[in-house]
Amino acid sequence: MTKSINTSGVGNAINRVEGHLKVMGKAKYASEFPVENKVYGQGINSTIAKGEIVSIDTSEAEKLEGVLKVITYKNAEKLKTLEGVRPEIATDSIAPVLQSNKVHYYGEYVGLVVAETFEQAQYAASLVKFEYKKDPTAVIDFEKSKSKAYTPDNGSNYSRGNMEQGFSEADMVVEQTYNTPIEHHHPMELHAVIASWDNGKVTAYSSQQIVEDAKIAISGTFQIPKKDVRVISAFVGGGFGSKLNLDQHVILAVMASKMVGRPVQVTVTRTQMFTNTNMRQQNEQKMRVGAKKDGTLTALSHETLSHTSTTQEYQEPCGMVSKMLYNVANNEVTYKLIPMNIQTPFAMRAPGEATGSFALESAMDEMAWKLKMDPLEFRIKNDTQTDLHENRPFSSRLLVECLRIGAEKFGWKDRKSEPRTNKKGNWLIGYGVSSASRNSPYLKTHSKVILELDEDKVFATIQMDATDIGTGSYTIIAQTASEYLKIPVEQVNVELGDSDFPITPGSGGSWGAASFCNGARAACENAIKTLKNNRNIAEDKEVAVSELLKKNQLTKFEAEGIAEPSAEFGKYSVFSFGANFSEVWVDKDTGMYRIKRMVNVASAGKILNPKTAYGQIIGGLTMGVGMVMAEQTRVEPNFGNFITRSFADYHVPVNLDLANIEVIFLPEEDKIANKMGIKGIGELGITSVAASISNAIFNATGKRMRSLPITPEKLIEAGLEEGVTA
Amino acid sequence: MRPFTYTSAKNKEQALQAFTATSHYLGGGTNLMDLMKENVERPDQLIDVTNLDYKKITSNENGGLTLGGMLSNSETANNKEVRTNYPLLSMAMLSAATAQIRNMASNGGNLLQRTRCPYFFEVSMPCNKREPGSGCGALNGMNALHAIFGYSDSCIATNPSDMCVALAAIGATVEVQKPDGTSRMIEFTDLHRLPGDQPEKDTTLMPGELITAIHLPKPEFSDHYYYLKIRERSSYAFALLSVAAGLQVESGVINKVGLAMGGVAHIPWKLTKAEEFLVGKKPNQSNFEAAAALEMKDAKPFEANKWKVDMGKNAIVRALTQAYERKV
Ligand SMILES: Cc1cc2nc3c(=O)[nH]c(=O)nc-3n(C[C@H](O)[C@H](O)[C@H](O)COP(=O)(O)OP(=O)(O)OC[C@H]3O[C@@H](n4cnc5c(N)ncnc54)[C@H](O)[C@@H]3O)c2cc1C
Ligand code: SF4
Repeated sequence: MTKSINTSGVGNAINRVEGHLKVMGKAKYASEFPVENKVYGQGINSTIAKGEIVSIDTSEAEKLEGVLKVITYKNAEKLKTLEGVRPEIATDSIAPVLQSNKVHYYGEYVGLVVAETFEQAQYAASLVKFEYKKDPTAVIDFEKSKSKAYTPDNGSNYSRGNMEQGFSEADMVVEQTYNTPIEHHHPMELHAVIASWDNGKVTAYSSQQIVEDAKIAISGTFQIPKKDVRVISAFVGGGFGSKLNLDQHVILAVMASKMVGRPVQVTVTRTQMFTNTNMRQQNEQKMRVGAKKDGTLTALSHETLSHTSTTQEYQEPCGMVSKMLYNVANNEVTYKLIPMNIQTPFAMRAPGEATGSFALESAMDEMAWKLKMDPLEFRIKNDTQTDLHENRPFSSRLLVECLRIGAEKFGWKDRKSEPRTNKKGNWLIGYGVSSASRNSPYLKTHSKVILELDEDKVFATIQMDATDIGTGSYTIIAQTASEYLKIPVEQVNVELGDSDFPITPGSGGSWGAASFCNGARAACENAIKTLKNNRNIAEDKEVAVSELLKKNQLTKFEAEGIAEPSAEFGKYSVFSFGANFSEVWVDKDTGMYRIKRMVNVASAGKILNPKTAYGQIIGGLTMGVGMVMAEQTRVEPNFGNFITRSFADYHVPVNLDLANIEVIFLPEEDKIANKMGIKGIGELGITSVAASISNAIFNATGKRMRSLPITPEKLIEAGLEEGVTA
Repeated sequence: MRPFTYTSAKNKEQALQAFTATSHYLGGGTNLMDLMKENVERPDQLIDVTNLDYKKITSNENGGLTLGGMLSNSETANNKEVRTNYPLLSMAMLSAATAQIRNMASNGGNLLQRTRCPYFFEVSMPCNKREPGSGCGALNGMNALHAIFGYSDSCIATNPSDMCVALAAIGATVEVQKPDGTSRMIEFTDLHRLPGDQPEKDTTLMPGELITAIHLPKPEFSDHYYYLKIRERSSYAFALLSVAAGLQVESGVINKVGLAMGGVAHIPWKLTKAEEFLVGKKPNQSNFEAAAALEMKDAKPFEANKWKVDMGKNAIVRALTQAYERKV
């Protein structure tokens, strides 16, 4: 028996347990639940950036066949509204909508049409006429609005040491600004919900990353008891942060259901995915780095200027990496935000690290070039085993190993340190490196296991409100149960994404795997322990779970478990680390470039399943390539709308753009992180890819590209003919 | 989406007869349907013309090939005769969109696809092309991807087609059926028009005219050709700028040139000056550079698309060089 277990327990590269459901179309995503009698809602979006609705003509829409209701601020249900000036947006924030005639940004929902069919709702929505009074004070141009920036009152500004002294000790200073544009999450599955209001009770099949927080947000917005809300997110087709919080379409659907007395489905269109499901905001990051001739860092300052909406506050922690990645005594991190008439930004994959590491790891490269030092050695020289920000040790940190092993695999020694010296025909060839780090949270998780004995076989069902956002949660949780119950994975059934199940932190911030698996472990361990205790069997005695059930004369048994960080956990900083290496070929005539190969080394704790882990890193790298090559959402400077409206103009990488990618996981045992030694991996991949590629482009062309994305036109403007940027 | 009726025409007569002022012919629908979903195009009737019998590739009296108007882009570009004799056209067509879109897209539809100007796609924005008289949003807005040649104050949009750039370089005649059932021939370079003060009109076609064939001249550039498409990702992206180059070289001298540029004007931009300059000259770097300079000095870029001038120069030289060196 033990053999078959070993092939499906933790650490094995098994196929996804839910894979066949997806291939057969049986995995039900939010909009696919067969809810009877449902109707369709179509949101209507504002076409001004700021102002007031002065009149609404719904007559034509209402005349159409199939139309049940046109909801605007005039007849909408009263909801709890945001209080105070720009409250901070959180994963459980309320999401009031249609509460006044005020418009705060282009694309804000101003109405919802409910009709029998999707087509009727869509057509009717286009017939509702709004007249606006435009407010000319709309803030839509980032560049021109910098004077409006304020310092957020959230305690995130930070400093240690003495900056002045740090810079006075420096032999070299790099002072540069790095720009990253608005980016959108764009998971493949559109945000969608089917909501029913039934005598004050709400059921919502909704695409969410955290069902518990969605439940809190619905109950908070409608001011109904939490127990009367049920949220189901059985399968989620990607989120990247955009489904962390509850977006307004869910509230619209619930409200509409209450008003028409039938279940209402609202699917956000791809165009609305730009305006109504959050985004990563534009960041202007000013870096100042001081170092001695021998490469010792003396000071590091990281200033981020960004924007939030006029109604809510979000600030991406771009400076986070600068606080902890290197050994620098003097460090300062500051933030400023411009309130703009654009929707509220929110966390997008590796918030802080993805963008912050572009600035930090580019600046590090610039410094290495100034110092005439190998950028790899410069990083290694400034390694630290202490998190100087928190003033505590890292639970484990293999950054230097990642860099060294990656360098070996990649062939870093063949890199020409002088830019523009590696050429082939029209191609300029360069190598780049960057370090990556990502905080590895571990959060309180509840779980339940149900054991059922069928002859000699035990079948286990694990239940928790965790989500699988395409990452492989079902699979690794099943493997965990297989591991701790010592039964083959085929005998494990995992049920997720229902708020009636035990509460977990959901998927986000790279905490899912560690939290869910330890939660499942705790329930399984609890089950076995209880079964042993009931029969006075020593806890360390190996007894098969089927035997335990028999000895207890049970054919069915349930146990719950809770996993949470130990006291030890709080004494350490727990992070995953990594290194990115890339080889880039730039065509000097056209500015087009090809990423020929990438090597990514990750030290991310216990690898639960090499296949799903690899998928996370590859996905992260691909998203990082998107950041570098093409992804950007631009705001029209006169009207405030996004000029990208679909995948035809919001470009993400295609297969051909991707390199030969080698991913290496370093074996790591970090029991401080949690009992199973699991660390986060979902956001490590995207972190610092942009810098690695940009650094390679510098090595190839001699042009330092400080503004993402790095497009052919920007490279042509930089002048690829000759010269090296200072 | 607005309601509309759908008619599948069985023959040319049915298609022409069914046409009304608020009708649109439907090819693969890869452009038209997108614009209908955005409420930009609002036909009351779609007349599907993909079942009409114009789906062949045949030899014509010029010694060239005739491409059926309803044949798909994929079938055209992958046709053996086309690949062998008009590799420049094939290369350009295969650089466009994705395999899925090329499978759907028809040759007639490709010639008539509309601009990708973002103001054109967003009905709440001003756009003279979509709504004559509403103004040109791009003129004082975001115009990094707009024209540098031949534009007017009323519209600065570009034509997005790759196929059309190759056809402009190669030369072609477009056959259209008139509503009265007779047909007429249009020189390819006369099909698209500059915006002038009527940007709503992309082409010189009259309402109800149906494209049924593209007649190609005798093959001239099957040895020396190159389609250079510059874009930010390797597929599924319109060109930031493109150049189609065909050369005929005899005894070390150029005796025929076909050269056109995409992504720079309201029409596929034929580089006539460069063509004339190069005939009789040696195919070398300095001549290619001189030809490129000759064309690009007429460019009138905006602040945001100045890069197109440098990129354009490089692209002309590069496409000619690759064509000459037969590096594909
Ligand atoms: C995401 C995306 C990316 C793309 N990328 C590229 C690219 O990189 N390069 C490129 O060149 N193209 C690209 N395309 C455009 C694509 O090539 C065109 O949409 C396609 O060629 C249009 O052909 P169709 O048959 O689908 O036309 P339809 O959409 O059916 O029709 C287009 C227009 O032509 C009219 N029409 C169609 N057939 C006829 C006929 N026989 N006679 C008269 N009128 C007719 C229609 O009424 C309509 O006005 C892309 C499209 C998309 C959606
Ligand atoms: S450039 Fe042409 S298509 Fe674009 S907004 Fe102006 S008029 Fe419309």
